[in-house]
Amino acid sequence: VSPQRGNPVLKFIRNVPWEFGDVVPDYVLGQSSCALFLSLRYHHLNPEYIHERLRGLGRSYGLQVLLLQVDVKDPHQSLKDLAKVCLLTDCTLLVAWSPEEAGRYLETFKSYEQKPPDLLKERVEQDFLSRMTDCLTSVKSVNKTDSLSLLSTFGSLAAVVAASREDLSLCPGVGPQKV
Amino acid sequence: RRARVRGCGAAMAALLEHESQIFLELFHRDGLAVCARGLGIDRLLLRFLRLYCEPASLVLVLNTSPAEEEYFIDQLRSDGVVHLPRRVTNEIANNTRYEFYTQGGVIFATSRILVVDFLTDRIPANLITGILVYKAHRIIESCQEAFILRLYRQKNKQGFIKAFTDNAVAFNTGFCQVERVMKNLFVGKLYLWPRFHIAVHSFLEKHKPEVVEIHVAMTPAMLAIQTSILDILNACLRELKRYNPVLEVEDLSLENAIGKPFDKTIRHYLDPLWHQLGAKTKSLVQDLKILRTLLLYLTQYDCVTFLNLLESLKASEKAFGENSGWLFLDSSTSMFVNARARVYRIADEKLNQKGKVSEKRDVKKENELKRELILESNPKWEALREVLKEIENENKNSDNLGGPGQVLICASDDRACAQLREYIIAGAEAFLTRLYNKTFGKDEKAGEVWIKDRKAVKSKGNAKPDIGPQAKKAKLTASLKQNKHKKQQDRTIIQMIGKTEEEKREEVEVEDNKELSSSQDSTEETIPEGFDVNLPSDCYYGIFKDPLTIIHPLQGCGDPYALTRVLHEVEPRYVVLYDAELTFVRQLEIYKASRPGKPLRQFCDLFFFSTCRVYFIIYGGSTEEQRYLTALRKEKEAFEKLIREKASMVVPEEREGRDETNLDLLRDARPASASVDTRKAGGQEQKSVQQTIIVDMREFRSELPSLIHRRGIDIEPVTLEVGDYILTPDICVERKSISDLIGSLNNGRLYAQCISMCRYYKRPVLLIEFDPNKPFSLIPRGSLHQEISSNDVTSKLTLLTLHFPKLRILWCPSPHATAELFEELKQNHPQPDAETAMSVTADSEILPESDKYNPGPQDFLLKMPGVNAKNCRAVMNHVKSIAELVTLSKDELSQILGNATNATQLFDFIHLTYGEALAKGKSKK
Repeated sequence: VSPQRGNPVLKFIRNVPWEFGDVVPDYVLGQSSCALFLSLRYHHLNPEYIHERLRGLGRSYGLQVLLLQVDVKDPHQSLKDLAKVCLLTDCTLLVAWSPEEAGRYLETFKSYEQKPPDLLKERVEQDFLSRMTDCLTSVKSVNKTDSLSLLSTFGSLAAVVAASREDLSLCPGVGPQKV
Repeated sequence: RRARVRGCGAAMAALLEHESQIFLELFHRDGLAVCARGLGIDRLLLRFLRLYCEPASLVLVLNTSPAEEEYFIDQLRSDGVVHLPRRVTNEIANNTRYEFYTQGGVIFATSRILVVDFLTDRIPANLITGILVYKAHRIIESCQEAFILRLYRQKNKQGFIKAFTDNAVAFNTGFCQVERVMKNLFVGKLYLWPRFHIAVHSFLEKHKPEVVEIHVAMTPAMLAIQTSILDILNACLRELKRYNPVLEVEDLSLENAIGKPFDKTIRHYLDPLWHQLGAKTKSLVQDLKILRTLLLYLTQYDCVTFLNLLESLKASEKAFGENSGWLFLDSSTSMFVNARARVYRIADEKLNQKGKVSEKRDVKKENELKRELILESNPKWEALREVLKEIENENKNSDNLGGPGQVLICASDDRACAQLREYIIAGAEAFLTRLYNKTFGKDEKAGEVWIKDRKAVKSKGNAKPDIGPQAKKAKLTASLKQNKHKKQQDRTIIQMIGKTEEEKREEVEVEDNKELSSSQDSTEETIPEGFDVNLPSDCYYGIFKDPLTIIHPLQGCGDPYALTRVLHEVEPRYVVLYDAELTFVRQLEIYKASRPGKPLRQFCDLFFFSTCRVYFIIYGGSTEEQRYLTALRKEKEAFEKLIREKASMVVPEEREGRDETNLDLLRDARPASASVDTRKAGGQEQKSVQQTIIVDMREFRSELPSLIHRRGIDIEPVTLEVGDYILTPDICVERKSISDLIGSLNNGRLYAQCISMCRYYKRPVLLIEFDPNKPFSLIPRGSLHQEISSNDVTSKLTLLTLHFPKLRILWCPSPHATAELFEELKQNHPQPDAETAMSVTADSEILPESDKYNPGPQDFLLKMPGVNAKNCRAVMNHVKSIAELVTLSKDELSQILGNATNATQLFDFIHLTYGEALAKGKSKK
């Protein structure tokens, strides 16, 4: 992780290690993700700055975050403009209200880099039936009752998958559908 | 049209003079009618409803609640109207709704449905006769109703719009509020009908009910408590101002602090900067709230309840170690002392009793020591009893008036009513003792037993005068009491309540007084043993006595018209106002005035009405009185301000929007009043292509669609499976408010939504919309933890962006800003197509570049145990289809997955049969 100047955000990156380095974006968070930091106050003074930075950045990273710190009183207009800019340059806009918050975002990006998205997903019961139901219903046009009847007619998932189209349509409530 | 006016002129006889005047004015010219509280705005609306209840007209009524609709429909039914108003709910299917509308009549409709129907032309806009808007003060620019009215005016230039409200105070906030509301309503006329309007005043003067105001003096202890509370309140307010010099000072006066809406005012001022306030200010606001409750309890309830509240406050203070300053002020100490003194003698006397030091005291004190409990009864109760006695006396001589008159007692809420009832039945001391025993009884049980006995005897003595008005029943009850008193005191009271409850039920069935005595015997036997004291809170409390007496709460019942209904059903001759409330006083006036006009006179002689007497029990010089007067004054001021504003108001001729010149109806990009965007004022050329945004049906609860429409963009309401708003064929937006965001991040909904958005659209956008009234910030200041926690919103948001690098996030401080942003995002982009947007489901084609794998089976795979995001690709690279996957052996699986445990899990999952699973599940249980 490598920014170029001493800045207030660094003070708050405490939970992950960081180092200086010579890179184009402000922060390189992982192999394919990077972040630019912008304070709105600075943006008001130098509106061209961020465009130049974005241009310099190009599209070299998979995830480009524009971390915006809101530190002016009336941010709405510039926030809107920046949102538009971000949409055009394929940046993800994140808004923080204090250097602490900004630091926290950066930390989290680093430490969650390898984390699977399970935290965001719906929790599924760990027992067999509900997992099976969940699995089968992910196929479009299969609902919970269908999944149960499928399972009870064919016995196991292996059998369900191996079943032919005719077998499936014989199943009550399923009709001419496909897996 | 003229003929119809004349026709209903006859029917209007039932309306009061001033009411018919309002009616006619409003009938001839559209406008906004503002009435004083309780001055019969509902009667007015009812009149209009009746006028339009016919298939030839189609009238929509906006902004009514289901209870109100119920009331209006009931009233009309009892008036014998054939075409009753109907309600449009979501139960009526989309395709039948057009027919429903074309059937005509009056229609109550939910705003959300109406908006959609207007947008999709499902409602025949050109056939609408007019729209009636109730509670018009709520029509602000961005709300659904304003949107409906705008759509209506665009499509229909002839129909009327008539608006009603009885909340003049609401117009007092903000700058030019009336004018703005009128603009939203598209009405050009403002009709003001305050209570001091000459017509109203002179008319009501003629029919003045006899009012007896009873000013009850508070006991010295109560007075002392009140002064201390006010002292503390004042101190708190001063502190508050000291900490927040920016606050507008005039509204934070002591006088206002007593009034009811103070909590709201203070929140109104503090909300936008709530996150910046220090802990001190927050606790001060909290304290103010507590103090106001105390003040209310003081006048409203008895001494025991008050002390109980006070003690519990102190206890919680100790328990939580919170430090609210006011408890340490001098005044609060005196408050505690006085509050205790109202309930029992000074504490050391109790000590004396226990410590056997009582010899030192003189004999007289000794005497009082036996009583220990003082239990000061509420002075208002005494007054109430006197009033009831008086009524009773009068009733005795009233046989020539057609039987005794009914009594209606009104108190503010359920609790007060319950207390009053108990008081009337049981008498003050018994009631207070019971309460006392309940609240403080535990620690003093030992010394209490003999006191109880004494009390039992005493209240027996009291029983007769207390239950005075129950002329015939008194003896019966007394004898009943004597039996019961041998048992426990508490139970007697409970059973008595049970009994009256029973009687109340009968009262509904049997209106005749004579049947009382016969039913008496039966009730005695059917007393349920453990009848609960907690009565259904919504019903009114009836006490069936010789004169029918009903206690009714003024507030807190679900049906806003319950009181009116009771008034008309019971037709009380005496009304006792235990607590003063502005609206009800007015209602009484109207009720009184409307009586003589009805044909009721045929069987009741005039005298009946002139004796309709109102007793007004109020504590002289108390905060209660103050509160009432403040409310009166506020309304008067509001009206005066409205009158001034009306005089200076310039109403442009095109306001009503009947021709094409009303600027508000031109939906151009320039915002009408709010959110001024100066950069665009240079008059953009209207593009030849009409801008369109596709909006999900469910989104019509928010105000955003209305604002988008206002900006000149067409809205197509459809049911979308993916996303909320489709701006261009590429851009799909999912809107989340803050609470939504947190919720859907936690339950996984947002993840699923993001998956599908990313799959079908090139530019998926998550819109985070903040509430403009709340601080514009995601997490409150100072709540940032040291460590990264997976429960934080920020962490989850980060994770989301990590997994969806294509997802863009928009941060919008208000719906206005969002609408503006949407418009700019749409510029120079092709319009979205509703057909394709609707057909975007999991079946449809996916974006070509997204994946080289089919998403369906991928989802399927990921849901299986042992497969995760990392090894999923490996599986897909090795296996052609799921059908192939299930044929693999365990070894092959572990080779692909690179992990034996995962492989076992997956293998078991695939090959476990249903029967085995069931057996397993059962054995587990």
